[in-house]
Amino acid sequence: MVGMSAAILQGVPATTTDTDFWVDLPERAYVRLMNLVVKQGGTPMAPTMYALADGSLVNFIFSLTGLKEFDQEFVHARRLSWNGMKVRVLPLERIYKSKQAAGREKDIAHLPLIKRVILGRKLATGGVKDDSGGSR
Amino acid sequence: MKTTSLKDWRKVYRKLKPMRDASEAEKIQLARSLAATPDERWQIHETFLHSHGLFSHWDRKKSGFKW
Repeated sequence: MVGMSAAILQGVPATTTDTDFWVDLPERAYVRLMNLVVKQGGTPMAPTMYALADGSLVNFIFSLTGLKEFDQEFVHARRLSWNGMKVRVLPLERIYKSKQAAGREKDIAHLPLIKRVILGRKLATGGVKDDSGGSR
Repeated sequence: MKTTSLKDWRKVYRKLKPMRDASEAEKIQLARSLAATPDERWQIHETFLHSHGLFSHWDRKKSGFKW
């Protein structure tokens, strides 16, 4: 799991209207994913985006700007328990990097919040001084 | 980090006190989010969407959103 859904699971107090999954498949294999989702009651909205039966959206991503290859990122993914499953999520630092590289307005808008959570997590786990700048 | 849940947010909040570039409200929000389990975080997120009628794609379409 990548993008803001992964960020939310790691403590970023934000919201998103779709869940992004980075898949280790060539883009031309999107039909395999479509068949999988449709079999579960989902509806195709675009070649890589689907509405699931409950109305939530999922988006399949085949490459992420600013990051290494899937395999190289996957080994560093965090394992979290979620919905009774173990899921792999892209670490916040890597989400930050991918959003910084993507550079779209909606990505840039999330950067300060993600940065704050990275710092907050360090403080919460102990021993890091706030170097985010002076008090304002 | 030791395993915490939403009810432990005050412990996390105390550790966030030195954070200079955040208001008290932001620190509380951050503490709650950091203390929560992934399931609790997701529940908060979904509850927020539901409360605004934005959870499902179909509801959002009715409200004029593209997706």
